[in-house]
Amino acid sequence: MKRSLGFVLTLFALLALAACSGSKAEGPKIVIENAWGRPSPKVATAGAFYMTIRNEGSEDDALIGADSDACGTIELHESYMKEGGAMGMRPVPGGKIVIPAGETVELKMGGLHIMCIDKQIDFQPGTKVKLILHFEKSGDIPIEVEIRNPMK
Amino acid sequence: MRNRTFWLGFFGTLLLVGLGWWAWDRFRPYAFHGTVLQSNEPAPDFTLMSADGPVSLSDFRGKIVLLYFGYTFCPDVCPTTLTELKRAMELLGEDADQVQVIMVSVDPERDTPEKIQEYVEYFWPTFIGVTGTPEQIAEVATQYGIYYEKREVPGATGYLMDHTATVTVIDRDGYVKLIFPFGTPGEDIAADLKYLIEH
Ligand SMILES: [Cu+2]
Repeated sequence: MKRSLGFVLTLFALLALAACSGSKAEGPKIVIENAWGRPSPKVATAGAFYMTIRNEGSEDDALIGADSDACGTIELHESYMKEGGAMGMRPVPGGKIVIPAGETVELKMGGLHIMCIDKQIDFQPGTKVKLILHFEKSGDIPIEVEIRNPMK
Repeated sequence: MRNRTFWLGFFGTLLLVGLGWWAWDRFRPYAFHGTVLQSNEPAPDFTLMSADGPVSLSDFRGKIVLLYFGYTFCPDVCPTTLTELKRAMELLGEDADQVQVIMVSVDPERDTPEKIQEYVEYFWPTFIGVTGTPEQIAEVATQYGIYYEKREVPGATGYLMDHTATVTVIDRDGYVKLIFPFGTPGEDIAADLKYLIEH
């Protein structure tokens, strides 16, 4: 009887430990890939950044904003087709881009993009733009955006 | 004997299928990637302001004109289309001089002739950018069935323009021939233009 109680206690402790270490792996895990922006003439005062955002974690997260010295202001936008086929652009509904757990969200031409307003530098091919992404749960993630021509 | 009949039939059928295929491929009507329009009236002429002075559509009779409406503050949709047009020009090679791209600003408040010209030239040296008074732009847009609307947005952009992002193709005789929807690949545009140049 004593022995079995010890056994149950040990088992319980082990389970608790497993649960604790397991909780460390919980939460969002954001991976950014292929961040790029199009080269643009000086006269174009705004630019757009595109990238792939993957959430390898077990909890949803959301991109809520970004900062860069290369831009006066940054907004999260999406281009969308209006009724009748015209194209419009608007700040993303809700002000954030949700990255669900286990899923990948593409910021791409003609869709979601990070809009760089009042470009402070010239976007020449080869330029690297430092960008800090703000996530709701993962916090700040610094990345580098490559200015290059779109690839097919 | 039975064997010979079999092989004769086999190769005969193969030959017929091959011939049929070749004939179909050779003589079928060309299928345009863009939407084909049958216009009875020539495309409406207009005169707008470029960095080098007034530009009229009729200046380009004999060339294929690609008309696109956009604005320089547009960082996503317009550059995407202009990049496809650039791609088409690259693919056309020597025939590119038969084609004139004209971008009309739907944001005359912010786009001067110099600004829109610098913008389009960045994509291809022969592209022309034009603008005008708000009334002139409204008239041309209406004539070509282009919708655009200024929309105030919260945030730093002040306002954005929603606009039809199609490309209108006017043939060498001055008739609207094709419409390319937003997102048409440069390869498809080049194929259609090549057909128009050769026929
Ligand atoms: Cu935008």
